[in-house]
Parts: sequence; structure tokens; C-alpha cells
Amino acid sequence: MSAELAPETTAEAVPRGRAVRRALGRYLRHPGLSLGLFVLVLLSFVAIAAPWLAPHGPTEADLMNTLAHPSGDYVLGTDQYGRDILSRLIWGARISLEVALAVVALSLTFGSLIGAIAGYAGGWLERTMMMGNDILLAFPGFLLALALVAARGSSLENVILAVSIAYTPRVAAVMRSVVITIRPRPFIEASRAIGMSSSRVLLRHVLPNALPPVIVVTTVSAATAILAEAGLSFLGLGVQPPTATWGNIISDGQGFITSNPLISLSAGLCIAITVIALNLLGDGLRDTLDPQMRRYTGERML
Amino acid sequence: MLRYTARRLLLMSITVIGMVTVVFFLLRAIPGDPASYMLGDYATEESVAALKAELGLDRPVWEQYLGFVKRALTGDLGTSVVTGQPAFDEVLESIPWSAALSVSGIVIAVLAGVPLGVMSAVRHGTFADLFIMFGALVGISFPVFWVGLVCILLLAHEVRLFPALGASSSTDFFTQVHHLMLPALVLGFSVAAYIARLTRSAMLEVLGQDFVRVARAMGVPERRIVYRLALRNALIPVLAVIGVTFAWSLGSAILVEAVFSRPGLGSMILKAVFARDYQLVQAGVFVLASAVVLVNTSLDIVYGWVDPRVSVS
Repeated sequence: MSAELAPETTAEAVPRGRAVRRALGRYLRHPGLSLGLFVLVLLSFVAIAAPWLAPHGPTEADLMNTLAHPSGDYVLGTDQYGRDILSRLIWGARISLEVALAVVALSLTFGSLIGAIAGYAGGWLERTMMMGNDILLAFPGFLLALALVAARGSSLENVILAVSIAYTPRVAAVMRSVVITIRPRPFIEASRAIGMSSSRVLLRHVLPNALPPVIVVTTVSAATAILAEAGLSFLGLGVQPPTATWGNIISDGQGFITSNPLISLSAGLCIAITVIALNLLGDGLRDTLDPQMRRYTGERML
Repeated sequence: MLRYTARRLLLMSITVIGMVTVVFFLLRAIPGDPASYMLGDYATEESVAALKAELGLDRPVWEQYLGFVKRALTGDLGTSVVTGQPAFDEVLESIPWSAALSVSGIVIAVLAGVPLGVMSAVRHGTFADLFIMFGALVGISFPVFWVGLVCILLLAHEVRLFPALGASSSTDFFTQVHHLMLPALVLGFSVAAYIARLTRSAMLEVLGQDFVRVARAMGVPERRIVYRLALRNALIPVLAVIGVTFAWSLGSAILVEAVFSRPGLGSMILKAVFARDYQLVQAGVFVLASAVVLVNTSLDIVYGWVDPRVSVS
């Protein structure tokens, strides 16, 4: 009975399996979060199974059927080289999710380390690190990514690297602002009092406790990464054609927007659905993980 | 207050010097030899050597860096390899185009985003709230260049309300405004979505505070609570948000300019990237980023005037 009323206070008395299930239930009851998660799982499946799902190869040109309208053979029609749009969209999901995953992994690792060290160390180290961080933050993220790709050359690796460099300072800023609220808490003081080394306190106690807001930020950064990759590809600076990416498909269709609007429209919808799913997941995680952290996650990610 | 303003200005100058540093290393991020990269595959040995000497690539890095900072702070950002004009002059030429687009986009975004965010917070949990928030989610999730393409398709080709091109060579003011309208609306729509979301959460936070509850208990009319108490307090974070969205909107403006073939800083940078005119890219990136810092610093100072608590802390 008491377990029903106050699950938090008796969580330790409840067997671990049930506690986990209860926590999962709390997340899944959030409509936005579960919808976002469902769409992302589905997209990941499509991306992984692309070679088997796609009816044609992504760069397979059928020169007899260029700019074909939707038919039984080409469900969404073909582009100016006679490539099947549906197959290209399916393969494009791979690139988008790859970029999102890689950018999240890189910016989460480096951003949270930089932010945590700065926030935990304090003093001149914090001031210098945050100065550098603020300088990078002053650049519009997309502009910085564009300039880096322009310098390093256009390839998938460089796009991932550039977008990660552009968005890592945002993760670092959020991490630092969370860590400075954790640093003065008694359990940190206690760990230091029993003689734990700084790096151990940082890795074992500060980082895990600061993670929830940072996870929310990285969900949003995955969304921005997908938009940034699409934008770069659209401008011709991202992953180079003929590789199928959603941004490339929109760019291919741009010239035929009046006669074959489906090419650009369908690719744009794919991007939007993925980004909406990531934003729903991010909003949902924010509501369920810690409702108080609204303040510093929303504004920082732009 | 004066001290606060001085501190902000000092911070701004440090940031600008830091940005010069980042921009300096952007050119050095080019793999191999920047000079031969910029001149392309058909460059002669002499022209590469000449450009190298001009860029100072034959001297040690720290010397190059100091020289670059010194020149950048006096407004000398190198010369464009393509036109031979000073890069800074080329940048100055495209600033009015970009400023017109960004300012009109932000104005549209604030005029639409703030009221929608307030409405959504006041009617928290109702159908109207859900509807507005869904619209805002769509606004931040669709790629801005795609929204631009769809608008061209619908509003320039199907219904001929606006021209498909974002600029015209005519000097007539109204023709220019007519060409600007669609790009500004597209940019404004995506920025408005952000502003609406952030206004809503700022407003909800204020509406949940004790002084609002006290005012309600004392029988202050709801309209008065919303507009006199809550909105005024929520506007402060919203002001800060507008500064942040400004930086973001400049990034989107590059894409909007590309879709509408509109001249501006973004198109200039893009053109320079494809022409490998890297000094022009540097100059453009530096000026865009400086604009962001300038706007944010002025907003910070205004922020300090409006809310004395800020300058004290």
C-alpha cells in the first residue's frame, strides 16, 4: 500500500526488476516520448534493413525512366537519372541516423567532459575554459559547421566532425551549468572528505548525477545534427552525390519542383518526421527525467 | 550599472579577439597547402608562391597569427582572390541584404511567436495549447530550406502571390519589399516556432510562482495577472532568448538566401567557398559572428537596464 503511494521512498524495498519496470512505465505513459521512441525505432529498423527493404539500388539509374511519376515499379517515381526515389529515401535514412548517432557520441563525450571539468574545477581553469567555449558559442552553429566542411573538404567523416565541433560547446555549456549546482552538495563534500581523488569524484559522482539534463540536450543535438547535415548536403557541401542522403535528394528535386514535386517533398517529410520524433523524445525526457531543468536545456541548444 | 556595461564591453572585445583566432585557424584547417588549394589545380608555381607570401604562409605560425589579428582589428581581412577587392569591402556590400532579411525575419518571429507562446501558456493543457505547440514543433522540425521550396511551389507558382526570386535588380523600394516578403516569412516562421516554445515555458514558470497565486487569491482579474504581472516578468527571459535566436537565424538565413537566390552574406560565403576564395570566407564568417556578439552584448546591456537584478549578480 505504501509502495503505491510513495514509490520513491520505498524503491529500495521493491525488487529491482519491478522498480525498473515501474520506471519504464512512467516513461512510456508519456505520449510524446513513446511516440517519438516508436518512430525512431522504426526508422532505425528501416536504416539497418535498407539493403533488403529498398526495391532498387540507391544509385541504380534507369535511363529509360527518368523523372517518372509514381507507378507500380517506382512507388514514389524517379529522379532525373532514373533512380528510384523510395530506395534513395530508405538508404538516406542510414546517413541521417549515422550522422545523428556519431554527432551525439562525439559531442556528448567531449562536451560533458569539458563542461564537467570546468564546472568542477572552478577558478581560473573554469573561467578560461568557458571563455573559449563562449567564443565558439558566438558562432552560429550551422555557419561554423559550413566553414569547417569548406576547409576540410566534403565527406561524411568531415560533416560529422564539423557538426560535432559546432555543437560540442553547447553540450559543454549545459553540463557546466548543471555541475555547478551539484558541486556544493553534501555527498560531494563527503566523498572528498573521505579522501577520494578529484578525478574519481568527477567520474563516479558528478558526471552520473549531471547526466539527465545533458541527455535531453543531446537528443536535441541529434535533431540539429540531422538538420545541419541535410542543410550542408542541400548546399552541395555535405556528403557528395551520388550518395543518397535526404539533403541531396531535396537538392536533386529542386530543379523539378514544379513538374515532379514529389522528389523534394518526400525527402523533406522524411527529415521532418525524424526531427519531430527526436524533439518529441527530447521534450518527453525533459518532462519525465527532471521537470525543473527546462530553463537551461531549451535556450542553450540553438 | 556603468561597471556592468563596461564589463560587458570588455567581455565583448575578448570574444571578438577569440573569434579572430578561430577564423585564423579555419584557413589553417585546410589539409596540405592552403595557397595551392585556393588557386586550384591549374595554378602556376609562381602564383602559388606569390599567394603564400601574401598570406604570410612562409613565416612561422605565431608571426602569421599576430599579423592576422592586428590586421583584422583594423578592418583589413585580406583580399578576395577572385575579384582582387579587399574582402572587407565585399562583405560590407552584402550586409544590407542580410540585415534586411534577418531583421524582418526576427520582427515577424517576435510578433508571431511571443503572443502565441503567451496564449499557449495561459490556456495550458487545452486544445489551443496543444495546437500551438504542435505547430511550433513542426516549425522547428522542418528544414528551413525545404519550407522555402514548398512556399515557392505554393505561393509563387500555384498562387502567384510572391515572386520566386528573393531579390530583384530594380531599385524601386516596393518591388524590393515584395521580393523580400516570402524569404522573410519563411525565416520568420521557423524562428517564431522557437520563440513560441521558449515564451511558453518562461510564462508557465512565472504563472506558477507564489506572487501570481497571491494575486489570484486577492481577486486580481485574470487579464491583469497575465498581462501586468506574468508577461512583464516573462519578457526578461524572452528578451535573452531573442538574442540567442538571432545567432541561430543567421545560420538559417544562409539556407534561405540559397533557396531564394537572394544576395547577402550567406550567399557571398557560399559563392566564396565554391570559388575557394578562402580569405573572403574568413571575412564573411568573422563579420557574421561579430554581428551576433554585437547584438547579444547590446541585448545584455538592455537586459541590465530593464532588470537591475542582472547587473548586480
